[in-house]
Amino acid sequence: MPSIELNGTVYSVDENGFLEDPKLWDERVAADLATTEGVTGLTEEHWRVVRYLREYWLSHDIAPMVRKLCKETDTKLARIYELFPSGPAQGACKVAGLPKPTGCV
Amino acid sequence: MSMIYLDNAATSFPKPEETYVFMDQFYRTHGVNPGRSGYDLCMETGALVDDTRKELTAFFNGTNSERLIFAYNSTDALNLALFGLLQPGDHAITTTVEHNAVLRPFEHLARYHGVEIEHVPFDVHGFVDPDEVARRFRPNTKVVAVNHASNVIGTVQPVGEIGRRCRERGVLLVVDASQTAGKIPIDVQAMNIDVLAFTGHKSLMGPTGIGGLCVQDHVDIRHTRAGGTGVRSAHRLHLDEYPWRLEYGTPNVMGIAGLHAGVEWIRKTGLARIHEHEMRLMRRLVDALREIPGVSMYCQDGLEDHIAVLAFNVDGFDAGNTGTILDVDHDIACRTGLHCAPRVHEQLGIDKIHGAVRFGIGPFNTDEHIDAAITAVGEIAGAHAHVA
Repeated sequence: MPSIELNGTVYSVDENGFLEDPKLWDERVAADLATTEGVTGLTEEHWRVVRYLREYWLSHDIAPMVRKLCKETDTKLARIYELFPSGPAQGACKVAGLPKPTGCV
Repeated sequence: MSMIYLDNAATSFPKPEETYVFMDQFYRTHGVNPGRSGYDLCMETGALVDDTRKELTAFFNGTNSERLIFAYNSTDALNLALFGLLQPGDHAITTTVEHNAVLRPFEHLARYHGVEIEHVPFDVHGFVDPDEVARRFRPNTKVVAVNHASNVIGTVQPVGEIGRRCRERGVLLVVDASQTAGKIPIDVQAMNIDVLAFTGHKSLMGPTGIGGLCVQDHVDIRHTRAGGTGVRSAHRLHLDEYPWRLEYGTPNVMGIAGLHAGVEWIRKTGLARIHEHEMRLMRRLVDALREIPGVSMYCQDGLEDHIAVLAFNVDGFDAGNTGTILDVDHDIACRTGLHCAPRVHEQLGIDKIHGAVRFGIGPFNTDEHIDAAITAVGEIAGAHAHVA
């Protein structure tokens, strides 16, 4: 199983860098994972997206549809790409500690 | 403004109101098995099927409506044609501008049936040189199959010239008119097309699930399937006579009705008028996108011999991401990726960046739709420039 070391912590991840065990996620982990996306400081705007993804996934066991993510967080998708350059699925979901989405976002 | 539909190269939407109304009415009043049973209603339904054969034969300037074959779509029709024309040891020529509707049957013919296939590349402007096709002729060349217009870059191929070279060598020309039937004139006689494959759900303004072939009199296609024809049931083998030779089981009456209504709508509206409208919008779009830094368009340097299909990318964005932003932020529907035409993207060198974004303009698009698309692409390109 691949692993990465971020800020002194070793994380088990899948081949795409997504957290192997989503239950191990917390806000410090999010900040560490964000660095793999080139995001060095998570702003409130980042957190609004991350928290929504996290809560939705905990409730539904699946990532939300991208249209729903944008509507519920009142964030344009183009802005999400600015916040998370890899996009909502590859970037934001990774930072939120979700498994790699196969559909939806 | 409601959703802006720029995915007409995938399928036209909406259809003319006449298509919806006629399908609904016809199926309610004539939804019986056509021509099989002999009672009046079944004969009336059969008459619509025959009338639509005649209508489409005239539309493509064919000579024999019995050789107008109904199939599910272009892919189905092309499978009937290519598998029915080629045999082990034959050589066939196609191009890199093709859709998988042609590419994959050929790959299967090559892998499993001993047919040799060659692909002629398109030039820097997106066109296939007829002389490049002719240079590949061999004594065993049986078929040339070309896309009339690309579903990715929109270039209209010089089919008449390719056809002339095929005729000189006694090679059959099969044309995939998925993108052009109902968009620009097709004359199978003047263009030396031996077998024309068309689909009903794109520019012919019919529903999905109906398409077909227009087969010239001198061409014989082997039947590669067998089954019910509704006539001469005692025959042990499938019938050799057209159209039954290439039709199997109960036809798609609802689809044929919709196709009939769609072609009627085109006739009333005028093919030239539809094309002129779409190309005016296309020029508006291309001219504006050319001015946006960070937007790359493919084979759109001139719009002569083009249909209104545009492939482009925005710097910094995977094509799929641009499409998703267009959908979610701007309510614009389009298609992204390889568009079932992988060799086009390979030749353009954009297969590794997941292809391109495609806008397909249709008869019901407006200046407002195009302006909204231009604004949206400009915003996406601007956002990237801002980040970069």
